[in-house]
Amino acid sequence: MNRRSTRLVALTAAAGLAVAALSGCATGSSGPEETGGDVTLTWWHNGTGEPLKSFWEEVGAEFEADHPGVTVEIEAFQNEDLQRTLIPNALQSGGDAAPDLFMVWAEGEIKAQVEAGYLKDLSGLTDVVESVGGAGTGWNVDGKQYGIPFRFGIEGIWYNSDLFEKAGVTETPATFDEFGEAIGKLADSGVAPIGVGAGDGWPAAHWWYQFAIKTCSGDSLKKAAETLDFSDPCFVEAGKNLKTWMDGFDGDLPFQSNPTSTPAQSVPNSAAGLLAAQTTSMELMGTWHRGEVAKLVPGAPAEDPPAPEWLSWMPVPDIEGAAGEPGAALGSGDAWGVYADAPDETLELLEYIMSEDVQTRFAATGEIPTVAGAEAGITDPVLKQIAEGTVNASLVVTWLDTQYGPVIGQAMNEAIVNLMFGNGTPEQIPEAMNAAAATL
Amino acid sequence: MTVTTATPPASRAPAPRRRAGRIDWSQPVVYVVALAVVAVAIGPVIYVFISGFRTNPDFFTDPAGLPNPWTVENYARVLGDSSFWNQVLASTVTALGTTLGVMLLGVMAAFVIARYEFRGRGFLYALFTTGLLFPLTISILPLTVLLRQMGLFGNWWGLIIPQVAFALPLTIIILTPFLRAIPVELEDAALVDGASRVGFFWRILLPLSMPGLMTVGVLAFVGSWNAYLLPLFVLQAGGAGIDNYTLPLGVQFYSTAYGQDTTGVLAYTALAMLPAILFFTLAERRIVGGLQGAVKG
Amino acid sequence: MTATETTGPAVSAGPAPARGTKRRNRARAGQRREIALFVTPAVLVYVVFVLLPVVLAAYYSFFNWNGLGPVDRFIGLDNYVRLLTDPVFHTAVYNNFFIIVLSLLIQGPIAILVALLMNRRLRFRGLLRALIFVPYVLSEVTAGLAWQILLQSVPPTRWGPVDTMLQAIGIQDPPAWLADPNVVMWTMFGILTWKYLGLAIILMLAGLAGVPEELYEAASLDGAGWWKTQWYITVPLLGPTIRIWAFLSIIGSLQLFDMVWIVTGGGPLNASNTMAVYMVKYGLNVSQIGFGSAVAVVLFFISLFIALGYQRFALRRDLEGSLTGGKRK
Repeated sequence: MNRRSTRLVALTAAAGLAVAALSGCATGSSGPEETGGDVTLTWWHNGTGEPLKSFWEEVGAEFEADHPGVTVEIEAFQNEDLQRTLIPNALQSGGDAAPDLFMVWAEGEIKAQVEAGYLKDLSGLTDVVESVGGAGTGWNVDGKQYGIPFRFGIEGIWYNSDLFEKAGVTETPATFDEFGEAIGKLADSGVAPIGVGAGDGWPAAHWWYQFAIKTCSGDSLKKAAETLDFSDPCFVEAGKNLKTWMDGFDGDLPFQSNPTSTPAQSVPNSAAGLLAAQTTSMELMGTWHRGEVAKLVPGAPAEDPPAPEWLSWMPVPDIEGAAGEPGAALGSGDAWGVYADAPDETLELLEYIMSEDVQTRFAATGEIPTVAGAEAGITDPVLKQIAEGTVNASLVVTWLDTQYGPVIGQAMNEAIVNLMFGNGTPEQIPEAMNAAAATL
Repeated sequence: MTVTTATPPASRAPAPRRRAGRIDWSQPVVYVVALAVVAVAIGPVIYVFISGFRTNPDFFTDPAGLPNPWTVENYARVLGDSSFWNQVLASTVTALGTTLGVMLLGVMAAFVIARYEFRGRGFLYALFTTGLLFPLTISILPLTVLLRQMGLFGNWWGLIIPQVAFALPLTIIILTPFLRAIPVELEDAALVDGASRVGFFWRILLPLSMPGLMTVGVLAFVGSWNAYLLPLFVLQAGGAGIDNYTLPLGVQFYSTAYGQDTTGVLAYTALAMLPAILFFTLAERRIVGGLQGAVKG
Repeated sequence: MTATETTGPAVSAGPAPARGTKRRNRARAGQRREIALFVTPAVLVYVVFVLLPVVLAAYYSFFNWNGLGPVDRFIGLDNYVRLLTDPVFHTAVYNNFFIIVLSLLIQGPIAILVALLMNRRLRFRGLLRALIFVPYVLSEVTAGLAWQILLQSVPPTRWGPVDTMLQAIGIQDPPAWLADPNVVMWTMFGILTWKYLGLAIILMLAGLAGVPEELYEAASLDGAGWWKTQWYITVPLLGPTIRIWAFLSIIGSLQLFDMVWIVTGGGPLNASNTMAVYMVKYGLNVSQIGFGSAVAVVLFFISLFIALGYQRFALRRDLEGSLTGGKRK
């Protein structure tokens, strides 16, 4: 058992089981562990893989060295566990159980935590807030900044340039028509054109999101996010466009077979694994995909696997004549939030993590940083391309499931998978979203 | 969950005589059927063990083949992984804790229900037996909330204590008739010898009820060793960290975190299966005994 | 450990052993203290961790609560209305009953047949029994992960192990075990049968051990053949075993969670959700604790209804009121 658990056991024993249970009061002591001026800060992140895990530990150690008496306890957790169960539970427990510094997701995700009063207002860290610029807006709730993004980028289509070449696709498609032609050539060459991990829902849903931001105007999207009313006809239109595009191909195309039992990532038979094994030639994914594909390349070394040379990136093509804002892109990032009762040293730690120096080194590990100037650390040409694309996008729309929160997000994603691979209709997507919004 | 009645040792039926010496015409058919069932039962398990000896490229070239080449690297890596051993420890400690807890609390309560005459005895018994209708699945959400409020979240106690609670109904149902069947004369003799009733409980009743206790103990151990739902909510959701995970959680974590390494995952899975297979097939008679107590033939 | 019908209502509280009035009076004095001492720990743990959560679930189910902050948004029966009108939940309930019915119709007869065949003097009988029992002792997680790896397939480039084996014996186009919504529940049933058939066989064998030898002798004297003997004599005598096995199977199928969660997570397209999976997916995972609790309550009432009904009509003679706690005497 680690120290935390032992401490909790002792606390519980002292408080008495039944009393606590029946009165329903929390037994956790409030505030951080402070003995004789020494402070322990707990920091939770989702960088379970290398090089990120070691990098954050290094940063923590540097901070400890500069701040005698401060101990930084860092723990890495799998992303979904961290977001869906660990952090909500820890925040609810409060006191010692809550981490001081942890990852927070944008918009709909952060809102519930802010409303429950779990997050510290970080607006006071003006330099930090300014340094990340527009990327920070997703973590701004009612004019106050509750999260500082440290990673931010838009999604695009990752593709295998070798397979493109073999199939005779010489230019990256700029429009959906050209995209369709490329898909046809790839299929003829014997590879599955696009991999999609519809087993996890969201990777498939992102195709609809792309159609939505290309079909709906910026204003419609903004209004929908504010009112959580999805009656705007453009949402139905988006589904129709997606379905029409898919119906233009034969059989499983443009996707691989068995999409609904294919997970998104982490195992060889996931969509990421199929791209890595060169059995599919494209995948729509966020910036993290580079590392994910790298580790799944057959025979890749366990430590610091390099990204394959054929792995390339292009923005999602435009749809000719669509009403959406030209140049709009989907994207988001990850941010740090601070627990409401966290000791002040946490803010110093946050400032250090968000310093240009740390962010530049962060970029060098294969990430896209947020602090202005840190992009100089990006060495990988593909990531440079994404960073530029992010800066140049006329509008960066946060992942729709993140924007609308988990309840609507889940209903929406399921309805989309149903449209794409089941017997759902375009109308059912906004219907499901509205129904889910009604349960909030 | 199981509904079980056990039989007082006194009335245990004599072992049935087997029809001796008669060789059936259908004997070969029987072997074929039995071997077919065995093959289906252990085929996948053997596949997992053997595939643990493969390399990943080999595995994906021919998923149904034999290792080519054989390698012990996967197994060596898992066995050299301190998390694996920590998880073995976690599973062992929580299973033993659950087992001891449920045996102690169970036998005490069953003792009172079986051998005391008091108002509310029937109610007490009913209270516990209704527990069979409250499986963990139903109460897991509020239980999580409760454990959180008690600070039992994310540690082994949060696993052990609810597991004891959920194993109590079955334990009491099995033990009560067992304890009741112990003759009153024994108790009277002990009391005449100057023992208190509590002394009688410890020195005479407990040893006599050992067979029943072993059965409930093994059942509680199996339940805890294989448990997934509660550890998932208490340890994983409670942020206990992988070194405090029990084996089932550990296997699942490994399969996500190192999912790219399929044969490594298979080796981890195989090694996690091993203690269960060794221990429980040895204890098969006990488990079956416990479950089959339910079966009054 | 076999019992005979003459043991009586083993499961009801039953009478405490009788003892002399004198002794009883003397015992009365310290008795209350002893009872309290012995029973309190068990009752406390049981009430707090088993009963209280159920009461809390019932309470939460009337609220819209996301697990954060106070439980203060009372919404009456809204959660129940939403639940009972959700087609995804209907599929989940259907899937639970699909597993129940198939288990009873397929697993049961297979187990009885195998047990009948094995109920004789066999070389290696103990070893065979132990091997058949292996899947049952594996945790659902390890078994589930193994099956997931065995079955996952991305044709035409990445056939899974099971598909590769099937192709080796000439089945070129095996079903999409985990990807086809129309197939997935059959796959799941297959996995569950693999996991629990051994237990059923061994329970049946145990039940058969209690069938008196004399009956066979009588039957064979009458000239009845093997099948006839089994059908008219053994199977009816196996009744209590079959009924208890069926009860275990039904309740287990209603609570089904682990295996589905590991192997399919309820997918594809929500085709393999069970009630418990639905509860976790739409309750805990999206922080709708109130709604999830309503699912729990419905699951509880379905279980209770079936348990009581089954007990009333099928188990009466075998259990003598275990579930109602021996009120019937």
